[in-house]
Amino acid sequence: MRWLVLGSLRLRFLLALSLWVLLGIAAIWLSAVSIFSSHVEQSYHEELEVHVRELGALTEIASDGSIVLTRPLSDPRYAEPLSGFYWQVTAKGHKPLRSQSMTRGSLDEGIAHSPEILHRLDNGPTGPAITYGFTRKGPAGEDIHFVIATDQRELDRLIGGFTRDLTAWLAGLAALLLATGFAIISFGLRPLDRLSQAFARLRHGDSDELEGQYPAEIAPLAADLNTYARQNEAMVARARVQAGNLAHSLRTPLAIITDEAERLTARDDCKDTGKVLLDQASAMEQQIEYQLARARLGAGRKPAGRGVVLPDVALPILRAMERLHPDKRFTLDTSGLERTVLPLDPVDFAEVLSILLDNAGKWARQEVRLAFACDRAGENTVTIADDGPGIPEAMIPRAFDVGTRFDPDTAGSGLGLAIARDLCDAMGLELGLTNGERGLVATLRIGLGSGR
Amino acid sequence: MRILVVEDDAELGRRLTERLRAADFAVELATSRADAEDWPDVDRMAAVILDLGLPDGSGLDLLRHWRDRRVETPILILTARGSWQDKVEGLNAGADDFVVKPVRFEELLARLNALFRRQLGTRAATITAGDLALDPLARTAILAGKPLRLSKQEFRLLHLFLRRAGQVLSQTDILDDLYALDDERERNTVEVLIGRLRRKIGRERITTLRGLGYRFDT
Repeated sequence: MRWLVLGSLRLRFLLALSLWVLLGIAAIWLSAVSIFSSHVEQSYHEELEVHVRELGALTEIASDGSIVLTRPLSDPRYAEPLSGFYWQVTAKGHKPLRSQSMTRGSLDEGIAHSPEILHRLDNGPTGPAITYGFTRKGPAGEDIHFVIATDQRELDRLIGGFTRDLTAWLAGLAALLLATGFAIISFGLRPLDRLSQAFARLRHGDSDELEGQYPAEIAPLAADLNTYARQNEAMVARARVQAGNLAHSLRTPLAIITDEAERLTARDDCKDTGKVLLDQASAMEQQIEYQLARARLGAGRKPAGRGVVLPDVALPILRAMERLHPDKRFTLDTSGLERTVLPLDPVDFAEVLSILLDNAGKWARQEVRLAFACDRAGENTVTIADDGPGIPEAMIPRAFDVGTRFDPDTAGSGLGLAIARDLCDAMGLELGLTNGERGLVATLRIGLGSGR
Repeated sequence: MRILVVEDDAELGRRLTERLRAADFAVELATSRADAEDWPDVDRMAAVILDLGLPDGSGLDLLRHWRDRRVETPILILTARGSWQDKVEGLNAGADDFVVKPVRFEELLARLNALFRRQLGTRAATITAGDLALDPLARTAILAGKPLRLSKQEFRLLHLFLRRAGQVLSQTDILDDLYALDDERERNTVEVLIGRLRRKIGRERITTLRGLGYRFDT
């Protein structure tokens, strides 16, 4: 329901459009009803006035003193019983003459009291009626009262019918306007949707830049975002190169110091000095490695435009591990996974995977198993299991400490797991160690929110 | 055994050469990529120790160059670049091992020996032939349960014979393995050495094939 997202442009346009359409339609309705009513009333009154004049012109006093019409009124509704259209002619001393429609009741001749045509709302035979009347002198000088009446409901019906039709039409028009308005908003905002999708692809690492053509208003924004993503990536790459250069510049002199210290250790007179130097060089080396790993990590946090492709990311690492540990077997199980792109830094993720695989390779007797799995909720899990001796349960929490080495005879700095844990923390991954059936199992949980 | 060290840092290169020579290797030193790329017999080296950050190009490219030319010599990368990205790239480019500076010399030696053993197709640290056993790392040789007293060159020669047991080795093969290119070589040295070794391990173990060379029989 992206139309209903609070604070969205879409909702803003939608509310403005709805208000505009409703106000416009209401104004049209009010004006149309009012103009139509007054127009209908006016022509109604004009018609009644014509009818009362016609009645006056057609009425005669016959020689026997009765009031007669020379011919029926032109409107046949006066002949239809209780049609709501009535007339009446009265004069003192004459029998009143009434329209055929007036099968009961009478009209109040009071309205007809002057030769000028007057009208008012009165009671008719079938309810409130608009009554017109005037008087004329008869042959004997008596007042002849001409009254014509039409039920008010006739006029109301006419106006009501019009109003109903108008309301239906205007409601249809409003719906049409709102629908076209939605379509226009949708069409107008589509480039923003595409931009947002392109940005999501960029963040998930499915693309290296914001792809697609955008209208002139947002094209500069897309271009700026692309420039920013490129600069960010270049900055990360630069930081990594600089970290590498720093490592290079520090490690070579340290290698010479280590060599000199080893030579001193071999001499009886400088044994102790040599040992101190060796220990310190080793501590320096550890710090350099750890801090450089952290520097790389800080520089490489959440870069846009790159992602980890599972299981592809593991393939070159496994090949490298087979060379590094040629007497161990590395197997990959991807049965629980389809090809997935994760929004994580591939270099950092590969570093974690490499550290864990190398660690497993060092301790495994014969085999290291790497497995990827994805559960129904979309959470990915990476497990690296070796068939080595495992770690005593009580020591597992210490495994991630800087400098922890369980076997000083096995090559390593005791930093790998500490670096792996820091990398995982930065990427939002959960790293755990457990003793499995065959050996140590490292589990890497990649939650849905990882890296975002 | 001859080892080619490719290291641009003069001081580190000198020290590494010294230590390897002290460990009975014949060592050649190349200080640039161009220098190493044109090395005439890199495929006859026992191993190459390769630095990645060379002044005139990438050591990784050099590694690929060699592997493209089917040079199968074991190559150990010894570099200051310690990220796993570098390691994975280096190993996938054809390196056999990857060591980050600084490294204790004993560890470097152990890793080199592991490479030699791997090339021999054995995981054991000791190479044996009948009642003869040689431990390259401890630099000891045992014959019928008794330690053999061997000079450095005799030890190197025995190591070579054991590594390539059953194969015919020419005098050049033996000289190449025992001496660096710029060392003085004399052919009769080989004959003298073989004579001394035969006396210590038994004449019948080394067969002379006229005009071809020598063969160690197991």
